[in-house]
Order: sequence, then C-alpha cells, then structure tokens
Amino acid sequence: MITPPEISWIAIAPDLALAIGAAVVLLVDVQWKPAPRVLGWVVGAVLAAAAGLTILQWAQGADAMAAGDTESLVAFSGLITMDGFAIFSRFVLIAATGLGLAAGWRFVVSLGRRGAEAIALVLLATTGFSLMVAANNLVMLFLGLEVGSIALYVLAGLARERRESEEAAIKYFLLGSFASAVFIYGVALIYAGTGQFEILGIRQLLNDFVISSPAVIYIGIGLVVAGLGFKVSAAPFHTWAPDVYQGAPAGLVGYMAAVAKVAGFAAIARILLTAFSDLSDTWLPVVAGISVLSMVLGSVLALVQGDVRRLLAYSGVAHAGFIMTGVVGGATDGVLFYLAIYAIQLVGAFAVVAVVSGPDGAGSSLDEYRGLGRRSPLLAGAFTILLLGMGGLPITSGFVAKFGVFTDAWAEGYQWLVIVAVIASVVAFAFYIRVIVVMYMDDAAEESPLRVGPERWVLALAVGATILWGIFPSSLLDLAADALPI
Amino acid sequence: MLTALILLPVAAAIVVALIPGRRREIHLPLGIALSVMPLALAGYLFWVFEPAAGFQYVVDVPWYEPWGIAWNLGVDGISLPMVVLTTLLVPIALAASTTITNRTKEFVMYTLLLEAGMIGAFLALDLFLFFVFFEAMLIPMYFIIGIWGTERRIYAAVKFFIYTAFGSALMLAAIIGLALTYASQEGSASFALSDLAGLELSVGTERIFFAAFAIAFAIKVPLFPFHTWLPDAHVEAPTAGSVLLAAVLLKLGTYGLLRFNLSLFPDASVDAIPIMAILAVVGIIYGAVVAIVQPDLKKLVAYSSVSHLGFIVLGTFALTSGGLQGAVIQNVNHGLTTGALFLLVGMIYDRRHTKKIADFGGLQKTVPLLAGFFLFMTFASIGLPGLNGFVGEFLVLIGSYPALPSFTVIAALGVVLAAIYLLWAYERVFTGVPDKEENSVLSDLSGREIALLVPITVLIIVIGLYPKLLLDKITPSTEAVLDRIVEQTDYTMPEPGRIGDVFVAGGE
Repeated sequence: MITPPEISWIAIAPDLALAIGAAVVLLVDVQWKPAPRVLGWVVGAVLAAAAGLTILQWAQGADAMAAGDTESLVAFSGLITMDGFAIFSRFVLIAATGLGLAAGWRFVVSLGRRGAEAIALVLLATTGFSLMVAANNLVMLFLGLEVGSIALYVLAGLARERRESEEAAIKYFLLGSFASAVFIYGVALIYAGTGQFEILGIRQLLNDFVISSPAVIYIGIGLVVAGLGFKVSAAPFHTWAPDVYQGAPAGLVGYMAAVAKVAGFAAIARILLTAFSDLSDTWLPVVAGISVLSMVLGSVLALVQGDVRRLLAYSGVAHAGFIMTGVVGGATDGVLFYLAIYAIQLVGAFAVVAVVSGPDGAGSSLDEYRGLGRRSPLLAGAFTILLLGMGGLPITSGFVAKFGVFTDAWAEGYQWLVIVAVIASVVAFAFYIRVIVVMYMDDAAEESPLRVGPERWVLALAVGATILWGIFPSSLLDLAADALPI
Repeated sequence: MLTALILLPVAAAIVVALIPGRRREIHLPLGIALSVMPLALAGYLFWVFEPAAGFQYVVDVPWYEPWGIAWNLGVDGISLPMVVLTTLLVPIALAASTTITNRTKEFVMYTLLLEAGMIGAFLALDLFLFFVFFEAMLIPMYFIIGIWGTERRIYAAVKFFIYTAFGSALMLAAIIGLALTYASQEGSASFALSDLAGLELSVGTERIFFAAFAIAFAIKVPLFPFHTWLPDAHVEAPTAGSVLLAAVLLKLGTYGLLRFNLSLFPDASVDAIPIMAILAVVGIIYGAVVAIVQPDLKKLVAYSSVSHLGFIVLGTFALTSGGLQGAVIQNVNHGLTTGALFLLVGMIYDRRHTKKIADFGGLQKTVPLLAGFFLFMTFASIGLPGLNGFVGEFLVLIGSYPALPSFTVIAALGVVLAAIYLLWAYERVFTGVPDKEENSVLSDLSGREIALLVPITVLIIVIGLYPKLLLDKITPSTEAVLDRIVEQTDYTMPEPGRIGDVFVAGGE
C-alpha cells in the first residue's frame, strides 16, 4: 500500500491562493461579466492573500529555524521546502506580479473580454514559479518551471492581432520548450548519477560518498544550468530575449522578464549552491564563463540597439551575468537582494515603455523617447532613476546589489571576474546614458504630454524602492541574509 | 556639523524643486541665496578648525554593519580648504549663470546636488562613502554639460562620463579588495580609511591597488595621458560647469592621490615616485606647449589646467613638507585663478559669442575693467610674487627640488611657458587697436560681474601676501601624512626635506 504524503497546507498556502485566485477570476468573469475594475479588486485580494500567507510562512519558518528544526520546513515527503530562501523569492515574485499587473493593466483592459484570461495566466505563471523556487525535488522544480513557462508563452502572444506578438510567442515557445527538454534531460542524468531527485538528498549523498565516475553528474549539471540559463537569458542562451521583449505586449514584458529571472536564478542558486556545493570546483569555472560571456555580450550588444525594449533585453543579459557573479560568490543573500532590486526596476522600466509605446504597442524605437524630459518630466525622471539604478550608480539600490555580488565573488577568489564585471558595468552605463541623452538633450517631435494610467503607482513604488534601498539598504539586506536555503 | 554641510545643498535643491516651473525668475536668485548658507557654515568651520587636532568633527554612524560601511565624515587641514573653496565657488558659479534661460530650475538643482556630492567626497573618511559621492557627482555634472553646453555638448558629456566611470570602476574593485583583505585579517568588515590604512599588504597587491586608485584619480586630475576628456568637457560646458569642473572636480583627483594613495599604500607610493613624477612633468610641459598653440581661449585655459595640475601631482609625490604643503595650497590657488579665468572667458563669450582668440584684439580699450581682471588673474596664474600662485608653485618647486632635482628643473620651465601662453593670449585678445568693429562696441563689466570677481581677487591677494593663514591649517595634516610614510616605509626623506617648516617659521 502506498501511504499518501502528509499534507502541509501552510507550505503551499500562497500557491494555492494564487491558483484558486486564477480560477476565481475566470469563473467570476464567465458568470457576471464584470467591469475590469471588479477583476482588479479580485486580483488585488488574491495577491494580498498570497502575500499575507507568505509572511505567515516566514514567521513560521523563522521559528522553526530558530528552534533548529529544519525538518519541519520540508513538506510533502521532500517535494517542497519552506525555507527562507523560498519564501523570500516567493515574496519577490508576488510583488513583481502586483506591480506587473498594474503596469500592464491598460493592456488587460484593452483586451476586453479576454482580459480575465490575461489575469488568470499571470496568476498561473506566478503559481508555477512560486512552486519552482520552493521545490526541493528536481521533478517538482521542473513541474513549476513548466507551469510558469507555458503561461508565459501564451502571455507573449496575447496581443495576437499584432504579428510581432505572435512571432514572439512562437519563438519563445519553441526555444523555451527546447530548453525545458534540455533541463529535464539534465535532471535525468543527475538521477542516473546519484539515484536522487531530491536536492537535499543529493547534497547528503555527495557529502557522504565520493562518486567514482562523476561524468554523468557533470553533464547533468551542465544541461540543467543550460536549461535554466535560457530562462534567465544568460548568454549564450539569450538569443530569444530581444525578439520576445520586443514583440510581447509592452505592459506585461516587465512582469514576464522579472518572474522568469527571479525563479530561474533562485533555481540555479538552489541547485548549484545546495545540491552540488561539494562539486563547486567543477561548475564554478563554467558558471564564471557564462557570467563573463553574458556581461560582455549583453553590454556590448546593448550599446548598438536602436530600440529601447531590445536594449533592455540585452541589458537583461548583462544583468544575468552580474547575478551569476553572485552565484560564483556562493552567497545566496547577494543573489536574492540583486533579484529583488532588479525585478522591481525591470517592471518599472517596462511600465515606462508601456506608457510611451501604448499598452499593446509593438516596438519602441529610441526616437519615441526624444525629448521625453520635456513632454513628461516626471515620467522621464522616473525612467532616468530606474536606468541609473540598473546601471548601478551609487545611492541607488542597484549599486548596493552589484556591490554585494561583486564582493562575494571577490571573496571567493574570483578577482578577475570582478574586474571584468566592473568594466562591463561601465559599458552598461554607456547605453543607459544613451537613453537619458535622448530623453533630455534632444528636442521632442511632439510636445503633448503622455497619458499615464495606473503605471504611475508602479513607477512611484519602483523609484521609491530604488532610492530608499540605495540609501538605507540594511532593511532588505538583513532579510536577504536571513533567507537561507536549508 | 559636517553632515549638515552636505545636507544643506541637498535641502536647497529640494526647496528649489518645490518652486513651480513657471516662476522661473526666482529659481536662480533663490539658489544663490540658499547656497550662501553652506558657505557660511564652511567659513565658520574654517574659523573654529584646530590645526593640530587631526580629523575633527568626526561623524561615525554605522550604515550597514555586516559590511562595515559607515557614514563616516571628518575634516582635516587637507580637506578643509577644499570644502571652503567649493562652498565659495558654487554661489559665484550660480551667479555667473544669468545667461542660462532655459530650464533654470533644473540647472540650479543640479548645481546644488553637485555641491553636495563634492563636499561629501572631500569629507568622507569611509571608502565606500567616498566612492558613493565620487560617482554620484558625475550625474549632475553630466547633465550640466549635456543640457546647457554648446554644440558638441553630448559628445563631451558622454566622454566625460565614460572616462571617469571607467577609472572609478577599477577603484571600486580595489576598494572591494582592500575591504576583504581587511576582513580576512581582522575578522570584521570595515571600509574606514583609518582601518584600511593599517593593513599589511603584500608588495604585489599593494602595487595593484595603488595603480587602480591612481588611475581613477589620474583620469580625474587629469594627468597625462588621461587628459583627453578635459578640453572637450571644458569647451562645451557652460561657464558655471567649467568653473566648478576646473576649480573643484579636478581637485578630487589630486585630493584623492594625497588622501588615499599616500595613506593607504605608503610603500607603493614611494616606489611610484618616478612614474608619477614623469607623468606630472610630462603633463606640465605638454599642457603648456599645447596651450600655447590653442586658437580657442577656453581650450587654452583648459590646457593650462593640465599643466598646473601637473605641479600639484609633482608636489604630492615629492613627499617632502614643502611639496605637500604646496600641493594643497596650489589646489586652492588653481581653483581660484582658473575658476576666475573661466568666469572671465565666459563673460567675454557672453559679449561676443565667440571664444576664438583670432576674433579679438584691442579689447583693452573697450572693456578696460575686464582686461584688468584678466591680466590680474593671468599674473596670479603665472605665479607673480605677492599673489597666491607664487606661494604654491614656489613651495612645490622648493619642496620637490631635494627629492627630484632634475624633474623640478624641467617643471620650472612650465612656469616660464605659462607666462608665454597666458601673456601671449592676453596680448592677442586685449592689446593693440580694436580692428574689428564688433569689438569696439562691447560693454564693460557690470556691477554684478565685478561682485563675482572681487571675492576671488581678494582671496588671491590675501593668500599671496599672508599664506600663513592657510598654511597654519594645512601643515599639521600634511606633516601627519609624511610622518606616516616615514614611519611605515624605509623611505628616507631627502635633506632638507622639511624645509617647509623653515619657510613657515620665516613667515612669522
């Protein structure tokens, strides 16, 4: 007889809330055909509930950690964990979802009756990724990854009247499912090498035994990193990013990019730093190589882009490289802090893009930003602060984030990587500055100010977070430092 | 008090930001009025400063303890004059900007934020904090050049930004390395200058870190061969931008060499003397020679900066009392005279809308006051005895001679070359008959413009005649720097290395 696993409701409570929320949104829409505003309230309540449950998890997890009782944090026979790392990442995901929906709200409304679909897909994507960051089992992780990714493929094609959106969806889907296949193949090889799917189990095994022929495991790790590297758009697996960022509906791109990065990096950090920390001599050079390639390719290619979305896509590649330096550094707090900061800035930046190129607009050439400083000074100012924050200028949170991961990498003995990284940051400044130049130093084609909808709240929060955590980073840094994986 | 000094300009910028954009006539006067407050505070600081007490009014509040970052400020004899200079020049630069009519509000805000950044960088005693100010300053300056500059302003602004950001990126890597070395040796993280200065570094590491810091500051100074951004930035920047750039921003480079390189890496500093001296002397001569042939008045002054700043670096790395005193006092002098020269060039430009030397001639007849001030600043810049430039250059030369005799002799040529390029420029612009019609109808200096120049003039004369006023404040701090180097390395100061003492004693 198979004994069913014990159900730990608290471990999956936020995910349940999100999944049920998605269903509720669809049902409410079918039954009452309400105004978009009502759906907004529903989704707000769902997110608030999920966030509240996550905080509850944090409190419980902290108690268990303090009591030294790590076992109670692993639920469902080792499928799901409730450690600080998972909870912190989940909170970032929920925050990015709220901000992302607000940024894309005008697009959602413009979809008419299909708006509820978009909302439900967003909630489902978050559910998947939220399970992914909490997974303690590689198969569970894959399930979360697929739930999230498939929802994102559909979201990319939601503006299906536009050809670019369709193209983005197809491209994202084809390359994305290929990457998923690579990932699951890697998982299979790891299972072949260790006989384990469980991350903690693998760690235990590698701790206790010396594997005599580890080549299978090495290949498995490589394939897993490649598959996840695709999700976080690290070079050389980044080629989909510019087209998808450009084609997908402007309002939702920020959300899509942010959650994929957060979940992907959380998974990379958990797998490499927890399961395979004993094999770090093997994967460190590989990850460092990916990091360098991402930073250099991303920064250099971003320099020559004439489209703000493609620019942000390539800068995302560079950021993937910067976050990788944190993985090389081996400290999860630096990675988590960076992810939280970058996710917020990314959603904020795409909120600006959504305002400038219209809620579902395609493309967003630099020309459209000409003279934005005069047309809409507040919008341009917010964009400037976000761009400088992404560039990592001191007194913005981006600097603290970069500083953290660079310090970790340096301490790990990867000084050369840090030097490459600081130089790449300067190059990165050059393209962020280019956008600022266009906004402030060129004359506008038209003078009329742009209409800003709910994006303004996103921008206010993103800019506030960028400056606040730039000057007083300790509040978030302390949380990130507590958010350790078991 | 030091925190207030940094926050006052920020508060002023916020006040200006709150005034609606429509009331454009108040922004500039309000900005000037508000920027007098930090000046008053800095003046008070100068008054109550105790020369012998080392770092004073130290503020040390933890910022993020696990990383050992602190809001750590302090003032000593090296930073004090720079802070006073900064607070003095900001109101003057703002008052000289009445020609800026578009987006005045933003201009005033950026200038005030720039002031906060500059003061912060001079006062920071925590490397992390210093870096924050050092970098944060770039943005306002970038906007000042990029928005209110002349034709090629965007090129100049981006070039300025990238050059400096590149240098500071290497410095950031070195700062991280230093702090981590400290953490591994002492077990607790710290970015405090006083903690990091006591580190034991291996020879190789120390040299690499020294180089990273030195390159960052050399770009800022700018030292030959990193100077190419400077003429572009100066020529394209609006007058206020040029004044602050030359008078204060560049000084962060020389200040940084003196404050950070010498105290953090004494051994490497001693080893680097020949390299730094060569670069300094090449800069002195090269800047001067290029200045001679410049057809553009503003570019000429810009290259003269390259030349003059070479003296400061030479004095710094002579590692003698006189050299260091001279370097600090020349920091102030160059800020005053070059700042004033840029103001004057700006005033000429406002009248004629050209900076080409060939377009002028005989201005003495039409604008005698302007010509008089220009000649006075020229003399100060050349180093006429009785004016401030003489004190600084004399101290540098007399301090460097025992340590680096041959370099000093070549550097002294720079003084002669300075006389050539400045006086020749004066001759071409101001003397002779006004043969171009536009030049004969110019109006002379207004009361406002005179009011801008008079405080600088007074200071030039005061420092020239009574340098003790400044030297008394500076000397204990520079001696402390020297003592540390002598203590920590096997450096033996050349005889008579401490001649500066004799000079000061003679002044009493």
